[in-house]
Amino acid sequence: MRATVKGRIGVFHLQGFLDGNNAPSFLTIDDIKATEALHIDMLLVSLKKVIFFNKNGLDVFVKLLTSIRNSKHITVGFCDYDHKKFQTINIFYKDAIDFSLFKSEKIAELFVSTNTSNPKTVLLYNEDPSQRSAMAIELFDYGHNPIIAQSFAEFETKKKTPDLYYAIIEDTQLGYFGQKIATRVTGNAIIYTVSNFLDAEIGNTFNIAYHNNSLNVGFRLFIFDAYKVVSMNIHALNFFTKLASSAAEYNAAICFVGFSFEKTPETFKNDLEDAGIMFFSTMDDILKNKELLQELGGGGGATVKQHRILNKALINELSHFIDATVSTLNMMTNAQATKNSVRIQALTIANPTDQFASSIGFYGDIDGLIILVFPKTIAKKACELLVGEGDVTDEEVLDSLAEFVNIIGGRAKVLLSENKRRLDITLPRTYSEMDTLMEIARNKKGVQVDLSFEGQNFIFFLTR
Amino acid sequence: MITPEEVAFYIKNIPPAPSVVRQALQFARDGDLIKAAKCAQEDPALRLYLKTLVNRPIYGFKNEVSDVGQIFGILGVAATQQTLYNYLLSLLTPKKWELFNLTNHQFYDLQASLSKQWENILLYLHIKDKEIYSAISLIPATIIVCNALFASTKKEVEQLRSVKALDYNTILKRLSGSDLFDLAAQIGQMWDMSDKTIALIRSASGTHRDLLGEQKILAQWIHLLLFYEFSQSAYVSAGLNEFIDFQIDFVDDIYDSFSQVIQPL
Repeated sequence: MRATVKGRIGVFHLQGFLDGNNAPSFLTIDDIKATEALHIDMLLVSLKKVIFFNKNGLDVFVKLLTSIRNSKHITVGFCDYDHKKFQTINIFYKDAIDFSLFKSEKIAELFVSTNTSNPKTVLLYNEDPSQRSAMAIELFDYGHNPIIAQSFAEFETKKKTPDLYYAIIEDTQLGYFGQKIATRVTGNAIIYTVSNFLDAEIGNTFNIAYHNNSLNVGFRLFIFDAYKVVSMNIHALNFFTKLASSAAEYNAAICFVGFSFEKTPETFKNDLEDAGIMFFSTMDDILKNKELLQELGGGGGATVKQHRILNKALINELSHFIDATVSTLNMMTNAQATKNSVRIQALTIANPTDQFASSIGFYGDIDGLIILVFPKTIAKKACELLVGEGDVTDEEVLDSLAEFVNIIGGRAKVLLSENKRRLDITLPRTYSEMDTLMEIARNKKGVQVDLSFEGQNFIFFLTR
Repeated sequence: MITPEEVAFYIKNIPPAPSVVRQALQFARDGDLIKAAKCAQEDPALRLYLKTLVNRPIYGFKNEVSDVGQIFGILGVAATQQTLYNYLLSLLTPKKWELFNLTNHQFYDLQASLSKQWENILLYLHIKDKEIYSAISLIPATIIVCNALFASTKKEVEQLRSVKALDYNTILKRLSGSDLFDLAAQIGQMWDMSDKTIALIRSASGTHRDLLGEQKILAQWIHLLLFYEFSQSAYVSAGLNEFIDFQIDFVDDIYDSFSQVIQPL
């Protein structure tokens, strides 16, 4: 069984009965290797469709989860269960639970980084005060707004108005938390929350794959929220210096906010400034200063001074990317897309209303960005296999478009591997407004392929 | 990936039941096991199938049973009819399973186990209807159809499943309008199974929420029995646990009774 990956979360979806006899059969050696190779921040086992389980069955998965957590420093645990299953797991493992439990995947998603700014208001309760605080801090660090019920009675009262909250967090607990540095997105800036003493461990807890993904998909401003940092040592200094050098290649800016140098050598600050890192006292100094924000790159891709240009290596592989797109559309709809025109130009959307777009970056032997722009009707049709027919909300279509470009990225990866080109793909990103897309794509020259599908046009755009 | 035309083509090419088996089935339906055995005796492949089937451990015979008349006598009318359908289905099994990591030997084990467990369930539910008894025989047809339709698109489905936990049954339904249980029911129609049996096969997917009375209860039991079997180690390794979507809510209210009739793993 392979884990399904959505965003930065991998989930094993088990079904039926689970015990010590059959549990090892769910995971072949290849499955374990494939899981270890995933670029994810969280690995979960869904119990939604498990009607019976015992401790021996769970133990097989706990062993795998623990081993992956230890090697990859990611959050691991179980999700999608009812109150009875939650209690059973707690009885099985008593006080020795070192994995996380999330009542639903929706709740788990609140505890990982995304590449969109989407703060949620959630109601939170746990009878253990330390769990309650830990969850609240994590949620806050990921950019959400947790409303914490201090007592069960208060929780029950607040629960009566569920419409006020995106999610109600109960029957949830964190195991080894803080495995990764919390990340949130504000506009076009990415904010990392760091705390305590920064040392060599930052190399494990900082998600470099996510950071590279963000650079590849067009983010240019990275802010370290360092209010809670006490100090750093030479290893952390080296880490940030290297990070600044790699960001410079993309013309990206790295800033520290709220870092007091009371217990850190002044020379460290000089070294970091020499590497191009900037320091600010408060977050508002950056986020509320529009001019500065534009200059630093947080106002959108349009402000980037140096544009990465199309190169021969990328153009040579164009046919693979188009094949991957057309064949994915064909697979998902049983209908054929045809190519109308190919031009090298800046992204041009003739009719920006009623369009959805999605993008996915790739890096490795070659790097670039694929952007797809669809009329809403085509987007809906393309995603029917993923979401089913009937009434589907725009949000569900956008979610599925992200999955759709993910499949395209995966297919392109396979096609290019046949030419011995190694590729990694970034998190997909979706756009319901073309203005937001143009902030990233404006002034970027690329290959625009106009395709038609069932009488309507859609755009494939490949750029760097 | 899979078009409605491809699905229709596959169903159209399902071979009709051999005349010997059709006759034997007719005698079994009429309750004349002697004539049914005489008929079955003429088909060497059927003879071998019956002998292999009833001598599987799940049937629990101490000594080898080889005479067709004796086999039908032991099985009784309902189980004979069911076994003849099992044989018909075995004629559709592929030489090599490409989608699932399965052998024909394991497939026949699954048939035998489903039949035996279904017998226990019907005993518990006090149901003696021969047609209902036979319905279980067509359920493994879903595996055969799935293997035939999806074998060439295995990689594509894997890519799809890497981003969304979709099962083959749902994919087929969304692409062609029919699911695997509908197609198994169509095979049942070709083999002259009763309307009642065919309706039961369709409803075993667990996705029909408008069922009532006995049909609902039987559909729930078949659905849960399927997942009990698909959770056995060999079938999990074969990939059968993931090929249809387990509708856990659909079977929730019979789970306690189920665990009385069939002990969990």
